[in-house]
Amino acid sequence: MSNQRRQFLKAGAAGAALVGLAGCAGMPGGSKARVVVVGGGYSGATAAKYIRMLDPRIEVVLVEPNDAFVSCPISNLVLGGYKTMADITTPYTGLERNHGVRIVKDRATAIDADKKQVRLAKGDPISFDRVIVAPGIDFIPGALPGLASADAQARVLHAWKAGPQTMQLRRQLEQMRDGGVVVISMPEAPYRCPPGPYERLCQIAAYLKTAKPKSKVLLLDANADVTSKGPLFKKAWADLYKGIVEYRPKSKAMDVDVKTGTIKLEFDDVKGDVLNVIPPQKCGSIADPFITANKRWCEVDWLTYESKAVKGVHLLGDALQVAPLMPKSGHMANAHGKACAAAVVALINGEAPNPSPTLSNTCYSFVSDKLVVHVASVHKYDVKDRTMKTVPGAGGVSGAMNELEASYALNWARNIWADSLA
Amino acid sequence: MTRSTPAWLAAALLAATPVLAQQPAPPEFAPSNLSPSGVRALAANCAACHGTNGKAAPGSSVPGLAGQPKEAFVTAMAQFKEGKRQATLMHQIAKGYTDAEIAALADFFSKQPR
Repeated sequence: MSNQRRQFLKAGAAGAALVGLAGCAGMPGGSKARVVVVGGGYSGATAAKYIRMLDPRIEVVLVEPNDAFVSCPISNLVLGGYKTMADITTPYTGLERNHGVRIVKDRATAIDADKKQVRLAKGDPISFDRVIVAPGIDFIPGALPGLASADAQARVLHAWKAGPQTMQLRRQLEQMRDGGVVVISMPEAPYRCPPGPYERLCQIAAYLKTAKPKSKVLLLDANADVTSKGPLFKKAWADLYKGIVEYRPKSKAMDVDVKTGTIKLEFDDVKGDVLNVIPPQKCGSIADPFITANKRWCEVDWLTYESKAVKGVHLLGDALQVAPLMPKSGHMANAHGKACAAAVVALINGEAPNPSPTLSNTCYSFVSDKLVVHVASVHKYDVKDRTMKTVPGAGGVSGAMNELEASYALNWARNIWADSLA
Repeated sequence: MTRSTPAWLAAALLAATPVLAQQPAPPEFAPSNLSPSGVRALAANCAACHGTNGKAAPGSSVPGLAGQPKEAFVTAMAQFKEGKRQATLMHQIAKGYTDAEIAALADFFSKQPR
């Protein structure tokens, strides 16, 4: 038995003692370690499932405040009116029933890396041998002063975390008069889901085209140009939504006046009947102690997903400082979850983590109810720079928008939801 | 005396130009890990679209890979790579995997229950 392994067993035993103290009765005996996963999105849920698949003697606790998983991918189709909230919602029960993941429905308030405990809003702290923090994104406080109050946030929606806001934004679109103007504002990269705002522009345009043909939708992009699948989106806007969509690059929102429905740019003001402001982003706040990049994101060792700031803490998904050309996508988060799960299992068992991880990514975007475009990539570990890099010659985008990929996109969704949660 | 560029400097600049114009160094990828856990990790990438352990949802238009004969998998991936098989994106993904990785994946999926 290796020294490292002995250390883990000790930690495991200590953890087990703490369980009793913390009142977590009913835990199965004989587990060699406990991993707590904070956050049940694409990366956290997948990590929880795959750890249990790889080593059922490791106990996994998933801390997640929501009742069910609501997918960001496909959620723009709810805005378009082509999918319902039920279509993009998956319960967490599969993780419990099929894999023995213990779900704690609570909000984590802090990760105490010294005490090896996750503190909760309602329940007692949960001790861990390793913790996986998968908090997704939060919005940078104060970036848009006019959106500071809860009242302002309830009126000008982001709908950038799929859930209640997705449906609320849809309602705002339904209630808008024909002839109205929808204004979407998106931040500078990096942000969650690079093609997402452009797909949203298409979906809102598709709705307006059929339901409110005198209306318009305008996308104010803080970036110099479309950041993902540019030529494909531009062709869709020109071919499908001429006169309905307007795309304005280099249009960074500086503030929002909720009362007058105005987005303030550097040299200009833009008014709308419905504003959808996607603010600048950072890692989910619970991961703030692990931020190492640009005061916004968390850097990790790409072999283990262990924080570069604190040992024993693993980080995943959109909260990460990405490697070159790595998107903040649901698919990539799912891939992080599996690579991290394998590394955590190896570390707990005193084995070396995989020295050669591969990640793949596919992002489908619906440019209408029936037409889809994709971007795909394969990422491997570069030993010299110790980062993930895209494989030269691999990856690419659709030749043109097409109907065949709409079927693939919807089945991608079914399969990745099952891969993450069932 | 005119201050023209000395011949030695011109030669040095000329020689340096291709270096300056060079693309960033090609990546130095870690050698493939074809141990059982390495192959399992590699196969996990396919699962996002094709289902956990290659078992797709019933009726999925993205085909399952579980229980596919080895030869069929290897042939399909080789044809994707060479652009000889119709694809929307698999020709782009296949190029990210070495022939040895594809052979190992073929073996892995052939042994998974449908």
